[in-house]
Amino acid sequence: MPKIDLINVNKLYIGKNGIVHALNDINLTIEDGEFLCIVGPSGCGKSTFLNVIAGLYPPDEGQIFVDDMPVKGPGTDRVLMFQEPALFPWLNVLQNVAFGLRMAGLLKEESYERARALLRIVKLSKFENSWIHELSGGMKQRVALARALALDPNILLMDEPFAALDAQTRDMLHEELELLWLETGKTIIFVTHNVREAVRLGSRVILMTARDGKIKKEYKIELPRPRHIEDTELIKIAKIIRDDLREEVLKISEEVI
Amino acid sequence: MSVHGVIKKVEEEKKNDLKMRRLKNFFIKLVFFIILFLLWSILASIEYWSNFLFPQPKEIFITLWQGLRDGTFIFAIYASMKRLIIGYFISLIIGLPLGLCLGRINWLNETIGSLTLGLQALPSICWLPLAVLWFGLNEMAIIFVVIMGSVLAIALSVRDGVTSISPIFLKAARVLGANNLKLYTHVLIPATLPSILTGARLGWTFAWRSLMAAELLYVSTGLGSILMMGRELHDMSMVISTMFVIIGIGLFFDRFLFGKFEHYISIRWGTK
Ligand SMILES: Nc1ncnc2c1ncn2[C@@H]1O[C@H](COP(=O)(O)OP(=O)(O)OP(=O)(O)O)[C@@H](O)[C@H]1O
Ligand SMILES: [Mg+2]
Repeated sequence: MPKIDLINVNKLYIGKNGIVHALNDINLTIEDGEFLCIVGPSGCGKSTFLNVIAGLYPPDEGQIFVDDMPVKGPGTDRVLMFQEPALFPWLNVLQNVAFGLRMAGLLKEESYERARALLRIVKLSKFENSWIHELSGGMKQRVALARALALDPNILLMDEPFAALDAQTRDMLHEELELLWLETGKTIIFVTHNVREAVRLGSRVILMTARDGKIKKEYKIELPRPRHIEDTELIKIAKIIRDDLREEVLKISEEVI
Repeated sequence: MSVHGVIKKVEEEKKNDLKMRRLKNFFIKLVFFIILFLLWSILASIEYWSNFLFPQPKEIFITLWQGLRDGTFIFAIYASMKRLIIGYFISLIIGLPLGLCLGRINWLNETIGSLTLGLQALPSICWLPLAVLWFGLNEMAIIFVVIMGSVLAIALSVRDGVTSISPIFLKAARVLGANNLKLYTHVLIPATLPSILTGARLGWTFAWRSLMAAELLYVSTGLGSILMMGRELHDMSMVISTMFVIIGIGLFFDRFLFGKFEHYISIRWGTK
């Protein structure tokens, strides 16, 4: 059953260096319960892709449907985790995680209870009373993850969430995320620079082109779960994708030269 | 040594370090002011200028002490602070919401915003003649000048704060389900707090200056008027000691009240 449908989606930016076609006639169906990973060179339109699905800005052309309903704006059925942590400095860690629940009208105690459970998952229970400026970059990302999960959305949109983490923490969070996905059947769209991470997590990987905002290639990943980032099969697949990605990255560097 | 012991030791060292640095800075300041004081004393004792124009520092202290004891300063401070506080609070009540609205509502910014910017170019004491004609020679006129001095600065500073909020906060809040009123109360206002504080501080400074200017010009009580009285009585030590009182009050609010709070906020908000 399709969960998200993108039909002829176009998004352009008019900047100082001319027009950027960030999304170019994207047609894509994302199935319910799919774990979709998106890779592509920097600046190819990955964040834009997540932003339009989140409803933060409308596409310039085309339509997006979620559960067959057109997307008209943000909704708590699809929570976006931003590339930067975007935590609120006027709230402490616990209050940040509980923010969405409070907005949804939950009482303080109830929302804090749930927020604590999520902080346990991201292993930050000890820091619930800390201020945001007291956290490291990786800790901030984990708080942001907990904050996104708190609303228990059907669709989770994640923009390079683990880029700032060390390998061990990232492995641990991969496991947690995979488990969460297996248990809840959420639809996840996960953007990353790291091809191996994409293969580690995704049931499908999409590679975007460097310049013109298109989908270059799709890869179905049918490896058994739970997976591990060091699995030989996984590394093999990742290598194929990485070679295709390199082609795209080279395109940009040639332009620059 | 146990882990706990190490932690204790490091904490202790850090604290001592900080203490030493503070102490050092304090001494540098102290020495500077002592030199200044001595220089003043020496200059006054050689009597190049007459003592009437250039009194000894100790005379200033005597006048200060007497003024505090017989209540001259106390009454003056009371009268001035009353006007200042009334005027300032009215400015806050008008300026903060006005600034928020200007920052969010474009047509309001184009109209009232431009007007505010224009009026800001007028030194607030220039409102005094108008205020006197409107309200007569009374407290209202003074308070009006104080308000005109601070309300515009507050509104503009808050407006700039609102328009420069990092869009990521608003995006994150919308994704997490904050809309309309909740977006204001839970995100916009707290995110603007550093600018609100800057505006409040700026507004206070302007209110204070406007008040002194207005009091100098004509009011019969307050710090500004005893400063003028000192001039009329040719009492230089009265003039200088009043100036000290004015400096003291200004410093107290600016550094200790607003400064401390602003420092805390800028660290929490990561703006420093
Ligand atoms: N607000 C904007 N105004 C102008 N151009 C923009 C804007 N936002 C993005 N762009 C441009 O659109 C393109 C796609 O941006 P996007 O942020 O989606 O890239 P990305 O794939 O997420 O890159 P990265 O991997 O570096 O995060 C980039 O070339 C960028 O310069
Ligand atoms: Mg991006």
